[in-house]
Amino acid sequence: MDTPQKILIIEDDRALQSALVEMLSQEGYETISAYDGQEGMEKAEVEKPNLILLDLILPKKDGYEVLAEIKKGSDKNIPVLILTNLEELDNIQRALDLGAKTFMVKSDFSLRDIIEKIKENLQK
Amino acid sequence: MFAKFLDDFRFITTCKKYGLGLWQCPNFLFLMMGLITIVAMVGTFFVSSRFASEGTTVMSVTIEVVFLMIIGSSVIRGVEKVAEANIMKTEFISIISHQLCTPLSAIKWNMEVIETERDTKECLPEKQMVFLQNIKKSNEQMLKMVTDLLEVARVDQGKSVFKESIFDLADLAKESIVGFQGMAIEKNVKIESQIAEGPQRVCSDEKKMRVVFDNLIGNAIKYSKEGGKVEIKLKKNKEKIIFSVQDWGVGIPRYQHSKIFEKFFRSKNESRYRTDGVGIGLYLVKAILGHCGGKVWFESEAGKGSIFYFSLPAQS
Repeated sequence: MDTPQKILIIEDDRALQSALVEMLSQEGYETISAYDGQEGMEKAEVEKPNLILLDLILPKKDGYEVLAEIKKGSDKNIPVLILTNLEELDNIQRALDLGAKTFMVKSDFSLRDIIEKIKENLQK
Repeated sequence: MFAKFLDDFRFITTCKKYGLGLWQCPNFLFLMMGLITIVAMVGTFFVSSRFASEGTTVMSVTIEVVFLMIIGSSVIRGVEKVAEANIMKTEFISIISHQLCTPLSAIKWNMEVIETERDTKECLPEKQMVFLQNIKKSNEQMLKMVTDLLEVARVDQGKSVFKESIFDLADLAKESIVGFQGMAIEKNVKIESQIAEGPQRVCSDEKKMRVVFDNLIGNAIKYSKEGGKVEIKLKKNKEKIIFSVQDWGVGIPRYQHSKIFEKFFRSKNESRYRTDGVGIGLYLVKAILGHCGGKVWFESEAGKGSIFYFSLPAQS
């Protein structure tokens, strides 16, 4: 049996985090949860996930800092998908410039849509 | 015209309405400026004709100018305060809407988990599913309202994001119509559509154009009478694609026609029939179409119904 692919979810809202964990587990992924930017960076370093779902507004370190740190280190090839409610052009551009693969707006995306995006990015 | 001029003198009521002090109220300050100018000019004339001393004349003109500058700076501060209040209001809407998006998204996603569980394990009785569907529907309405408010704030701040692409407008119109079938059945309104054959390509933001269709078609159904009809047409006319949606519902009184695309405007006729809505749908429709070289217009008569049109440049 194949080892399940690991997904690190960096999201401070517990209700959103638990819905993501549940759906991704049902899809056969192994999930790791982080509730702030600092914890997210540490878990990315230790757990070496296959993909990271990253919120932008986070306690301790915001999503941009986390993204910039990840892309500077040895984990730079891990695809990072942004999952936020910030939809302004400068937010999208800044995240993409820092190396994010996709920018998803929470209120526009269903969990099914997010899973599709994860599958697309894990195949690449 | 004269009544409007007289209205400008009711500045105490106007200032109270906007929460401004008398010395911050532009109407009052302009009146004061006018009075001081008149008094100063008469005074200057009086002084210069009686005493005919150059020094006295220069002094009185200088005092007059100083007074005018003081009053003028108060006028500027008053206007600045109004402008600041407007910016703060837009920012407030934007912050609150952002804050609301997270819990509303959480409800949406957690509902999706429950639905998936239900589909795979059938763990919920049918009766509870009905209530959960009610929660889902209400949450979707709330999320739509909040995202629309956020979009209004972005339009006002000039920060609206347009992801332009070439797509088939006919397909998008059909999708929107399908989305309203449930509401039409509930209201016993018949939707008749004539969508031109073949792809009707336009260059715009697909997500935002869906907002345009949803607002125009949704309004036509909402304000139709029970058992009424809504007629939707999409056709190509020379270099343009023209969409129209007609209802035979409550209509808009003529005296309110000029205000219909204004932000937060709700027709008197409309609010008598429905209590929901905040009056931002048509404001957004106009802003979205205006950004893509499109146009929106309408014909309407109270009690007889409305027909809304929009046009967009066609792409080959």
